[in-house]
Amino acid sequence: MKNYPSLKFVDLFKRLFLFLGVDYPVMRKILQIKLTMDRRRVPTVFNEQNKKINNDSNQFLKSLWVYAFLGLILVPFILIRDSYIFPMSLVYGVLMFLLMTSMISDFSQVLLDIRDKNILNTKPVEKRTINAAKIVHVGIYMFILTATITMIPLTVSLLARGVPFFLLFLSQIILIDLLVVVVTALLYMVILKFFDGEKLKDIINYVQIALSLSIVVGYQLVIRSFEFFNLDFGFHAQWWQIFLPPVWYGAMFEVLLGQNRDVYIIVFSILALIVPFVSIFIYIKAIPSFERNLEKLSSQSTVKKKRKPLLGSWFVKLICSSKEERTFFFFAQKMMKNERQFKLKVYPSFGLSFIIPFILIFNELRTSSFTEIADSRYYLSIYFAAMMIPTIVLMLRYSQSHKGSWIFRALPLENLSPLYRGTLKAFMVKLYFPVFTLLSILFMVIFSVNIFLDLVVVWLASSIFVVLCFKSVNGKVPPFSESFEMTQQETGKMFLMFLPIPLLFGIHFWMTTMEYGVIGYAVVLFVVNWILWRKL
Amino acid sequence: MRRIEPILELKKLSKSFGEENVLDEIDLTVYEGEIIGYIGPNGAGKSTTVKILLGLIEEYEGNVRIFGEDISKGNHTYKRRIGYVPETADLYENLTAYEYLTFIGELYGLEGEEVDRKAKELVKLFGIEEVYHSRISSFSKGMKQKVLIISSMIHNPDLLFLDEPLSGLDANSVMIVKEILAKLAAEGKTIFYSSHIMEVVEKISHRIVLLANGKLLADGSFEELKGQNMDGTLEEIFNQLTGFDEHQNIAEKFVQIVQEG
Repeated sequence: MKNYPSLKFVDLFKRLFLFLGVDYPVMRKILQIKLTMDRRRVPTVFNEQNKKINNDSNQFLKSLWVYAFLGLILVPFILIRDSYIFPMSLVYGVLMFLLMTSMISDFSQVLLDIRDKNILNTKPVEKRTINAAKIVHVGIYMFILTATITMIPLTVSLLARGVPFFLLFLSQIILIDLLVVVVTALLYMVILKFFDGEKLKDIINYVQIALSLSIVVGYQLVIRSFEFFNLDFGFHAQWWQIFLPPVWYGAMFEVLLGQNRDVYIIVFSILALIVPFVSIFIYIKAIPSFERNLEKLSSQSTVKKKRKPLLGSWFVKLICSSKEERTFFFFAQKMMKNERQFKLKVYPSFGLSFIIPFILIFNELRTSSFTEIADSRYYLSIYFAAMMIPTIVLMLRYSQSHKGSWIFRALPLENLSPLYRGTLKAFMVKLYFPVFTLLSILFMVIFSVNIFLDLVVVWLASSIFVVLCFKSVNGKVPPFSESFEMTQQETGKMFLMFLPIPLLFGIHFWMTTMEYGVIGYAVVLFVVNWILWRKL
Repeated sequence: MRRIEPILELKKLSKSFGEENVLDEIDLTVYEGEIIGYIGPNGAGKSTTVKILLGLIEEYEGNVRIFGEDISKGNHTYKRRIGYVPETADLYENLTAYEYLTFIGELYGLEGEEVDRKAKELVKLFGIEEVYHSRISSFSKGMKQKVLIISSMIHNPDLLFLDEPLSGLDANSVMIVKEILAKLAAEGKTIFYSSHIMEVVEKISHRIVLLANGKLLADGSFEELKGQNMDGTLEEIFNQLTGFDEHQNIAEKFVQIVQEG
């Protein structure tokens, strides 16, 4: 085990911990083990037998550059000199959002680990020491994360705005860190008090999805944020802003640097200082009840009511010819719905396929008028909705319960075709169809209903694309039969699978230039579909 | 000479989760060198008892003394003399066996090098020395169980709580572990053995404690239980005491439904 740099940093505060009654050597030991495990979060199960030497690498550290890039959003606001409270509230707002979401998505494991209880609490170690280790563990990551996000903004502030501004900026960042950690923990406490563990895991899942989506939208913002430059910043404090924590921190700038003596502003900045410490106090008081409720994570209490399926069985009968295929259709549908890891990997690209066609159109709006676009063939940008297909088809191969896949081999089936067909149809009906339909309706509003036939062609083309993706990416690997930890080995293949999309787009475009081209193309696609799905 | 002071003493131990009484006034005194077979149907309150004894559950009614000390006083040092094999086989699987065992040993207050030396010899005896430096996540169930057993004993505890310690072990390893337990008891260690496999409990326990619905239904040696006008194997006694005589009926219905249609 290594002596990590972060541990040496923690060593600096040894006296503080000893003063607080923490058994420092034991806490350090626990931290060292935890940090070692973090580096192995993606266990290389399959290489283990041959490789005795561990090639540890922290996945978290590898993802840091994304956060450094997102930190650039903050830079233009720091340069604004007309006002303090408005740009700085925005800066702190963005920072809080980033910290909070990544705290929930990446560190929930640390806060909610129930193995810890069985392993550590049964040993002769004081609770205080275990809790301290937990807090420091989260603290180390928060420190690294915050440092990465704010490094460039802090440097810019020092160079452009001077030392007092820099110091105030820095010290409030620390306060925000405290606030975010404690508020997240308190949030978990409240959720666990009223709901069971499953609900909490669902909520964490949704936050993770939101984070991945907002990072993508964030990229757009980084580029656009430099355009906001010449706005007017009239700001008048209002009572309701008391509910916006970022404003408290912006207010501090007004008081200390802008000499603003508005009552609201002063109240806000007092809150900025006090609330983090008050919430730490509440947190410490609430720890015992939190630990008790943590038990809920391991137990599943609620009995779910059986819900009526949305799709009538007549519809499934229509699209799935054999009984086995129907069975696998329902099976795949439930797997996609219940698998958290699947949702986490799939939903962001799901959201993207919806957004990207619009981004393309809006970009075009800058140079041409709305009527020009409505007359154009820009509706073909709906092809980019098909971008979700390679990702999701690849993900269909993985499952958290991949070990259950022995059942496919043990079943008395001639071959696995019904499984492949049922799963792909479930994907098309349950995930692709809703996005596609919604886009189609919106596009028909924008471009007139005359594009209906074109949309049918797009649907037929993407249905061929689904089969091609499945064949080339998954081959004969049955769905839900591999561990998610294997995902990284296949992403290269997946990017290759994006290439046919522009090709399909191009052929379609070419067909629109010919008389009866589109309808002829539709017939051809229909026949190809008919053959391909049969052969699957 | 045998000390008279009990290792473990429960007085009117009760615990309820909301409305439900999980433990209802349990009285139990255990002396050193005993192997207690701690049995009961699912949900009887067995693991709750062990969790209370290990300080995982802190709110309960009644009095618990371990090594003569009231554990509600909040002094954790009594845990130094306790070893625990949890049923759920919780381990930090991303660590190697070496890292895990030294870590646990150090938490028990041993020196890292000493733990390493002992652990190395122990894994060798269990025949898993070639994976000592591999991650536990790659282990089979039996290998993980061996690591758990070693981690529960490496600090030479006086009181052991074992929850299904034999699960996943092959027949030869089972024989080794049973023998280890008998030897440890002969050395004066106390063992709380919790299991659903009645044949094993019957063979290795000096004393059998049966819990059902949070109440103590029986407490005594196997011979004593047999003497209380019950007969047959421990399995049969278990059925009688828990008032379960439906097994033939249920089995019949089960087969009937399987053969339908």
